[in-house]
Amino acid sequence: MRLRWSLVLSLTWLSVAAAAARAQSPLDSAGAPTRDPRFEATVRDVAASLRCPVCQNNSVEDSPSLLAQDMKKEIRARLAAGETPDQVRSYFVSRYGEWVLTKPRAAGMNLSVWLLPLVALLGGALVVWTAVRRWVRQGDAPRPAAVVGAPGGGTPGQDAAALRARKAALQASLQDLEAEFAAGRLDARDLAMLTERDQAELTAVTEALRRVKKDAPEPVTGAARRSDASGVNRWMARLGWVVALGAFALVLVLSLRGSVAARSEGGTITGSQTASAAPIDMELQQTGPLDSLRIAQLEARVRRDSTDVPALIELGHLYLAQGMLEKAILVDTLAVRLQPDAPATAEAFAHIGMILWSLGQTDGGLKALDKALYLRPELPEALLYRGIIFFAGLQDMRAAAQTFEHYLTVAPPDANTARVRAMLNAARQAAAGQ
Amino acid sequence: MKWQQWAIPASALPVLALLGWGLTRDARTVPSPLPGKPAPDFALQTLTGDSLRLTSLRGQAVLVNFWASWCLACRGEHHVLLDAAKRYRDQGLRIVGVVYEDSHDNASAWIAERGGDWPNVLDVGSRTAIQYGLFGVPETFFVGRDGRILYKQIGPLDSSVVDRWVPKLLAASGAPAPTDTFAEGRSAGHVRLSPDFPTTSGTARRP
Repeated sequence: MRLRWSLVLSLTWLSVAAAAARAQSPLDSAGAPTRDPRFEATVRDVAASLRCPVCQNNSVEDSPSLLAQDMKKEIRARLAAGETPDQVRSYFVSRYGEWVLTKPRAAGMNLSVWLLPLVALLGGALVVWTAVRRWVRQGDAPRPAAVVGAPGGGTPGQDAAALRARKAALQASLQDLEAEFAAGRLDARDLAMLTERDQAELTAVTEALRRVKKDAPEPVTGAARRSDASGVNRWMARLGWVVALGAFALVLVLSLRGSVAARSEGGTITGSQTASAAPIDMELQQTGPLDSLRIAQLEARVRRDSTDVPALIELGHLYLAQGMLEKAILVDTLAVRLQPDAPATAEAFAHIGMILWSLGQTDGGLKALDKALYLRPELPEALLYRGIIFFAGLQDMRAAAQTFEHYLTVAPPDANTARVRAMLNAARQAAAGQ
Repeated sequence: MKWQQWAIPASALPVLALLGWGLTRDARTVPSPLPGKPAPDFALQTLTGDSLRLTSLRGQAVLVNFWASWCLACRGEHHVLLDAAKRYRDQGLRIVGVVYEDSHDNASAWIAERGGDWPNVLDVGSRTAIQYGLFGVPETFFVGRDGRILYKQIGPLDSSVVDRWVPKLLAASGAPAPTDTFAEGRSAGHVRLSPDFPTTSGTARRP
């Protein structure tokens, strides 16, 4: 089926709006507004927290649709029967799912909406903290000798090397003392005295080394990493990167495969809906490089005189051909407002009809095309669009065939003729099958 | 500094998991809580003036089809319903149309023109539509012999959907839903119901 969900929604919305205008729905006494302002405020609160199912991003409170009005009556009746606002919301959730809540509940997967900003904030704070700490260290770097002082007058790197050598010597000396003592060549008192002396110097050297490292982190830590890193951690980190990048690539490929693959008629970027019975391959208009030039000329004309209907209509035609639907509907609407009943405006109505249909508003599209054909009964564009809507949208093959036949009798042969013939044949076959 | 080497790839994993989860799902799908639950009961007037209660069809497989005469998609779907009625009637399939946001006259004229001998009830005030969590028309609920909703079709039916689900409805045993599910006289009006509890609408009116 070519009819998509969004189409059904907008259809419903249009029709419901029309029905609202006709005011056919009998009002029942249950759920009628009361005179209690506090109660009515609660009703409004609950209605504002529920989504209108037949609208696009509108709450039950804000929507003028009949279903939303009926839902509001239901809310009022339930509150009047003693239910709490939460119980009323739960009722609607039990019918429509969590979707119906304008503000999702903080539970399950929804929690990510609350937690992710916090995680991002903490991560950002960590990055800033690390960066600031590094800058502060770098700011101190030019005066290491003054800070280190004693060990020597060289650069921090030379100081560190000297200190490390001294530290190693002292550690070796301490081990020697232990060995001498174990071999019986040293008595306990001497051991204690010598150990204390070496230990004291070792502490001083370690402290000096720590200060040097702190003041000149780059050469020292680099050297330290090279000298004592086991290498295992680095390999693990690299492995982590490879795994993460591989997973990223996999997710990307899998998601893009669905997105960039040839999409069936009615399919969406995230998956395919029911496939169409009759895919359409219809280039509505030929476009060329001259079009942009012509568009610029016409735009200038419209800027000078915004009531220039022929310019507006031609502009609408070119915008449509180039796929600029929003601009097209703007100029066509302007033309329609200026001369709603002139035969020349029929073309603008036809454009509006095609655009509305392509936006999923079949009903509105057909109405606009009806108006176009009322103004100019043999306008080829209007017949073509109407045929396409019957053929691909409503799948009313008999009506499609009739419209295409009419089109072929009135339209001059052009690039579309062959395609229309193909659709006409398909429609005739399908109509025979029905 | 070792933990930082780990932290960056490690922090990418939850993001990837979230991306994978989000990108592999259809953003248009609205999950319905109703399949698997007992079909909400209703007692409404038919277009011919009789009264119809859904529970009176218990033990039979039922298609509850919401439609309206102003709905163009319903027009495309109607021949599928006619066909389903013809093919599955002998096996016990029943169809109930629920007319949504429409007038009695328009709906009657529509049926007279297009055919269909199954009962169609008028849902004045859309209470039944709300009970069924309706997003728009057409929508069709496949109700099993036990009174539970097996499947919900949003948008027009086609014969492949009918042929996939109706045999399942017909094949299921007639084990009835819990007796209080369709208890007479129970309505949202005088009993506080749990969210899962089917309620009566249409004739039940609160003060």
